[in-house]
Amino acid sequence: MLQIDNLHAEIDGKPILKGLTLSVSAGEVHAIMGPNGAGKSTLGYVLGGRPGYEVTDGSVTFDGRDLLGMEPHERAAAGLFLGFQYPVEIPGVSNVQFLRESLNAQRASRDEKPLSGGEFLKLARAEAAKLDINAEMLKRPVNVGFSGGEKKRNEMVQMGIIDPKLAILDETDSGLDIDALRIVGEGINRVMRRPDKAVVLITHYERLLEYVAPDFVHVLVDGRVVRSGDIELARELEREGYGAVSA
Amino acid sequence: MTLLTLPSTRQEAFRWTDVDGIAAAASLPRADAGPADAFWLDLPGDRLLFVDGELHASSRLGRAELAEVAASDHPLGSRASGRGWRLALSADAVADPVQVVHLSTGGDNHLAAEILLADDAVGTVVETYAGRGWANRFARLTLGKAARLQRAVRLLQDEGFASTRDEAELGTGASLVQIALGAGGAGSRIDAQVVAGEGAFAEFGGALLTRGTQKQECAVAVRHAEPNGQSRQYWRAVAADQSAASLAARVEVARHAQKTDGEQSLRGILLKRTATVNLKPELEIFADDVKCAHGATVGELDERALFYMQSRGVPRARAQAILTRAFVADAIERIGNEVVADAFMADADAWLERAL
Ligand SMILES: Nc1ncnc2c1ncn2[C@@H]1O[C@H](COP(=O)(O)OP(=O)(O)OP(=O)(O)O)[C@@H](O)[C@H]1O
Ligand SMILES: [Mg+2]
Repeated sequence: MLQIDNLHAEIDGKPILKGLTLSVSAGEVHAIMGPNGAGKSTLGYVLGGRPGYEVTDGSVTFDGRDLLGMEPHERAAAGLFLGFQYPVEIPGVSNVQFLRESLNAQRASRDEKPLSGGEFLKLARAEAAKLDINAEMLKRPVNVGFSGGEKKRNEMVQMGIIDPKLAILDETDSGLDIDALRIVGEGINRVMRRPDKAVVLITHYERLLEYVAPDFVHVLVDGRVVRSGDIELARELEREGYGAVSA
Repeated sequence: MTLLTLPSTRQEAFRWTDVDGIAAAASLPRADAGPADAFWLDLPGDRLLFVDGELHASSRLGRAELAEVAASDHPLGSRASGRGWRLALSADAVADPVQVVHLSTGGDNHLAAEILLADDAVGTVVETYAGRGWANRFARLTLGKAARLQRAVRLLQDEGFASTRDEAELGTGASLVQIALGAGGAGSRIDAQVVAGEGAFAEFGGALLTRGTQKQECAVAVRHAEPNGQSRQYWRAVAADQSAASLAARVEVARHAQKTDGEQSLRGILLKRTATVNLKPELEIFADDVKCAHGATVGELDERALFYMQSRGVPRARAQAILTRAFVADAIERIGNEVVADAFMADADAWLERAL
């Protein structure tokens, strides 16, 4: 589904990704762990097409298509979802409006007809309820005044509504309380654990992986995948730290 | 047409005024400006249509009447003093909205207005500028004790220039909420002086949207002459292409006007780096026990928010429109009447559709 080969990317002329290779097939969950500043979020942004993140070498294909040649919104319409480490606040734009615009824009690009206001609200309320986000919060401006954990759960509500094929979730577990972590973990399984879908989970904690059992665990250090393994690798990291594991 | 003597941009109060634009507007040849029908909002009450400053026979006058208005000594306002229309409400009267459409066909036209609300009277006025040429207006607003006036003004002229000068005096506990939208293709200057009495509330703001080589500006001063007054000046400017929007807002607090609460927020967004937004927030405070907050910022649309929306599937141009709309709505949604607010937002949407 996602094939990343020898990816090099820089920000403001500073190389961050330095030859990253990763292959994700349908039905798989991959976890990416790594020290602060390793380039995990950068990988997410490069895959999402954020302006300012310049790819200098390598290739990325998504379902056989050249991902890097697509506009950010085209990547979304193709089925890519990026869960943000720091979800952005948008004053003056309600969650409902934001989500409806997003969903209908994606539907339009797939030649599907837009959902009406009523249909959309029903869907949004149902998805929000699954993540303990009430209808009142849906009316509020996007992420404005949301707590850290609420922002992360809001990302999952968006994922549930958009129903993507591939989700790159950047530290969706950070800042969640114990119950929210379970709710989010279950949400990921419910929406994404399907033979035709895949997940890349960026995380610092082995804890989320207890809920969303990864098929592969990769260690990203200094812009490269330095080790890959299974859940055992995550447990080893938890015990011994990156220094020992990536040495 | 007589030779124009216009203010000079060397005068501080007119430094951003498009004086050449006024002269050019005044020399636009006359041409059919089309019907005014589309500009009426679905509201009860008077409908006054002025074509090139002359009352059109199709007008519907109930509360409003034609009248002589005392002169102003303002450089532009003085040209429009004299002949005009008047809305005078007696004590406790609550009037249906009065709609005024100023349709210009070319050349220059000048007209005065007077809005006089006696104690506790409540009035609503909605004005629309359309067509081409130079429309120059002066209005004198006098609000008695606890009177309330809501006034909304939209500038939708295709070309030319619209200049308005308002001189308002608010009695004890009176409230004036005036919101303007500049969303046409013409240049403009919104010029006002509001004097707020004891405990009066003065809100004067709006949104100026400029594109092409258009120049629009506001120059508004609110003077708190007595204690316990409140004022709000929320202005938003959105500038595209090579256009320029200028926001000059001033709060003056007289020495004994204690407990004044003034808030001023001037914000601009540049849709292109070639556009200009000028901001001039001014506070002149002589009392010591006052609360005056002010903020002034100019920037581009938030790149992070744009990417966030794009990553959810929204094309960039649409994301820009959504963010810009929210920015403009911040000022326009302060219009109390929902029909009016919706119509103004629709005009802003039409503008965005064109500019982005
Ligand atoms: N705009 C920028 N300009 C310059 N350097 C940047 C910029 N954004 C990120 N970087 C640098 O890129 C490197 C990788 O950052 P990135 O956010 O991808 O790390 P990360 O692995 O996600 O870390 P964390 O675990 O702390 O989230 C860091 O050294 C960071 O300082
Ligand atoms: Mg990160």
